[in-house]
Amino acid sequence: MTDKNPLSPHIQIYNWHVSSLVSISHRITSVINILTLSLVCFWIWTLILGNENYQIFYNFFNSFLGKFFIIGFVWSYSFQILSEVRHWFWDLGYGFEIKTSNITGVLVVIGSIVITIILYSIRGILI
Amino acid sequence: MISATRKWIFLKVSSLLMVPFMIWFLVKFVSIYDGNYQNIVEFFSSKSSTIFFSIFIIITFFNSALNISEIFEDYIDNKKTRKFANMMVYLSSLIIPIITIVILVKL
Repeated sequence: MTDKNPLSPHIQIYNWHVSSLVSISHRITSVINILTLSLVCFWIWTLILGNENYQIFYNFFNSFLGKFFIIGFVWSYSFQILSEVRHWFWDLGYGFEIKTSNITGVLVVIGSIVITIILYSIRGILI
Repeated sequence: MISATRKWIFLKVSSLLMVPFMIWFLVKFVSIYDGNYQNIVEFFSSKSSTIFFSIFIIITFFNSALNISEIFEDYIDNKKTRKFANMMVYLSSLIIPIITIVILVKL
């Protein structure tokens, strides 16, 4: 059974712009965030199962792949936070001009990378 | 009020609530993720961490489920498949936080 709702055109027919890159990345990071947050919840579930089960996540987080996962996780959340703030300004009616939209889009991308580097670098002194 | 408007309002309100908790969690998580069993149990046993993390996962799962259902609306043509996919996302967004909060309270 198919719906009469029109589907979004496939993304490959568009020319890539900063705004489209940030828009699709916002959606991708939404999915990544719910998957990684589920993993964090499973990590917490192992706490009640005892130290032996916890070691599975401990070993993963302390491996090379684990560090890669953590950096990706921090970037994805940083990106989502900045992109949400950009959306709030749009909801208030600001930042729709093409030039402004491109600048804020670039700021979201660069800002998320900068936040990731800063957070990961100073993590030892945060707690 | 039509359901799309209601959904949009839920998205915006949950986004406003989610961001401060997301920042809190991000800062805490990068500091503790490689800690040993005792460190992590200690962190999540504290009342403030339990309350903050519980609110964070409820809002974030809710917001993400709404965002993902938007993606399904845009890209899944078959109504049955879309309904099933939405149901699975909403169900897991309910079950995972509930189990996690119960475990946090029991820690």
